Amino acid sequence: MSLTSPLANIYHKGKFGDYEDKNENDILKITEIKNLLIVQIVQYKNSKISFENIDIDNLKLKDKPLVVVKNNDTRILWNGPKNWLLVSKKKNLLKDILNVFDKTDFAITDISHSRAIIEIEGKDVKEVLKKGCPYNFNILEKNNSINSIYNGISFTLDMLESNPNKFRLFTLRSFGESFYHFITDASLEFGFKSI
Amino acid sequence: MLYIKCPHCGWRSQNEFSYGGDATVKRPELGKEVSDKEWDDFVYNRKSLRGKHWELWQHLSGCRQWIKVERDTATHEIFKTLKASEEIS
Repeated sequence: MSLTSPLANIYHKGKFGDYEDKNENDILKITEIKNLLIVQIVQYKNSKISFENIDIDNLKLKDKPLVVVKNNDTRILWNGPKNWLLVSKKKNLLKDILNVFDKTDFAITDISHSRAIIEIEGKDVKEVLKKGCPYNFNILEKNNSINSIYNGISFTLDMLESNPNKFRLFTLRSFGESFYHFITDASLEFGFKSI
Repeated sequence: MLYIKCPHCGWRSQNEFSYGGDATVKRPELGKEVSDKEWDDFVYNRKSLRGKHWELWQHLSGCRQWIKVERDTATHEIFKTLKASEEIS
């Protein structure tokens, strides 16, 4: 079966908004990200086993708000108490994950097909996010992640870089097109380039 | 904007939360004979208090956990928040 990306019908390459007479580095860059493995990892409430020694792609789970544990290919985002979102470029990592987590203690769900992912980069990204999200972005640092809402749409945000700011935004696939419009509309005043 | 301190995530906007009712209601003991009035009180009957009040809220667009919030229903001031598993002192 061929895969259709969640934003296939609305994502167009080019420059948009107030980009004229601006340096290429000063406008925002927006990209749809495809082909990532996304796995939800949840430890059951009645499970007593320790997760600290579990090794996934040389990474250990951390039950701490905002924290992202990462290497070059894989990032594990804290989603809530004993609840993580693993995002990886390695599509075959799922087999290893299923092997290391005991089914009686953890719920492992592959949700790769059910998320629309947008990466947005530039010095004004936080201003774009502040337009629709009530979170205080001034305290957010590199390798932090949060769950919040953007104009009423639930989304997960992962801060990849801080200079310039680069964020990866995940939302439900079915909300993807509306979410993309919200983000691009908010980006028009700064000018943006879809890559 | 009203901010609630989630015991798991920290300060977040009230927009991310969903109200879940009175946190002081206790379920009748399991296996015990329950009268219609006791059951009605547990399921339906609620006091509409003015002042400090313990409430259940869910951090629906955040960590998705249920929490307890002590809030003044007249001023909306929030005094304390607890995890759902923590007892109100």
